[in-house]
Amino acid sequence: MAMKPEDVLRVIAAGRGDAICVPTMTTSPAWRELAPDDLSVGCVGFMGGASSLGLGLALARPERRVIVFDGDGSLLMQLGTLATISGARPRNLVHLLFKNGVYHTSGSQEIPGGLTVDFVTMARGAGYRSALSIGELDEFKRRFPQLLKDEGPIFVELVTTLADQTPMTARGGVPFPDQIDRLRQKLLTAAP
Amino acid sequence: MPESIPASLIIDTLKDTFREARSARAAEGWGRPASEHLGWILSVPDTHQKTVLAALDKEQALRVVTCATEDEATAIAAGLYAGGEPVVLMIQHAGLYASVNTLRGVAMDGRIPMFYMIGLLQRERDRDPRESRHSMVRFAEPLLDTFGVPHARLEGPDDVHLIPEYYRISRQRRGPAAVLVGLETI
Repeated sequence: MAMKPEDVLRVIAAGRGDAICVPTMTTSPAWRELAPDDLSVGCVGFMGGASSLGLGLALARPERRVIVFDGDGSLLMQLGTLATISGARPRNLVHLLFKNGVYHTSGSQEIPGGLTVDFVTMARGAGYRSALSIGELDEFKRRFPQLLKDEGPIFVELVTTLADQTPMTARGGVPFPDQIDRLRQKLLTAAP
Repeated sequence: MPESIPASLIIDTLKDTFREARSARAAEGWGRPASEHLGWILSVPDTHQKTVLAALDKEQALRVVTCATEDEATAIAAGLYAGGEPVVLMIQHAGLYASVNTLRGVAMDGRIPMFYMIGLLQRERDRDPRESRHSMVRFAEPLLDTFGVPHARLEGPDDVHLIPEYYRISRQRRGPAAVLVGLETI
């Protein structure tokens, strides 16, 4: 009942179209290998901020889907974002939560509450238009195309194993300011 | 002596600031904005600027997003900037203290233009803020100095020109800049 995060990311990379993606923490190393493009910006150096960064992008570019790859430890750092996102009602935001129950990067200490924390209920209670949990890759493959069409904000908890790499074991990648510049330039040239 | 600034004057100045930002955006090559409003205000409600926030509720030209924390507001502002939208953050000094890591990580290391209007709640009319009896007033400017954030005080209606000036500074230096609202707005 748990998916490999890299398998989930491959499904997203294959089907995202022109969606902007916002990875954070342990999804970042695999994502930059799978999707080395200018339409992604990683949340690095401000843990917990991925969903807020994604919200800003979603509000700025309502014609595009924005997909956030959050972590459970990260979300707990700024849990109020669930209410802020609900209040702003971005129709184009898909908030994916990679739930592994631990702070993988710092040595896999269990997050407060571990795997028992019910983020789906929290998101639903905060006012997300829909919220669900997926633990099987086949189900995620089946549902993902519809997640790119349904009205947001949408919250999906993805029950996963640990990633092969973390930002500590696979350092590198494009610095955050350069990612922002590249994304901004890409959006500028594609703006209607 | 400092004076309170009317909310209407601040809002008119913000509109002018956003009009200038929209012109700069168009010159940069961005197409038509996705919506009709001039710009975005990200607010973690500040008692000191409550008359401005109340007036913004009735304002159609500016879109306000109320955020649960200043950390969120800063990261949302980064996303709006990346998407080509002009944005101003309205917070309180206590929120500045609460969000210094995000200020550092996003606005400074991330080189994101970020313009803050920071209310100095409990600032005494007859004292320089650096000599305030209240630590939350007293430490605001030294904290901004420590982080190298350009800042100025809005000490009365004659100072509102500092709003577009410091907004421009944040864009030019690609980082944070702030104005400190000296007395409660009216």
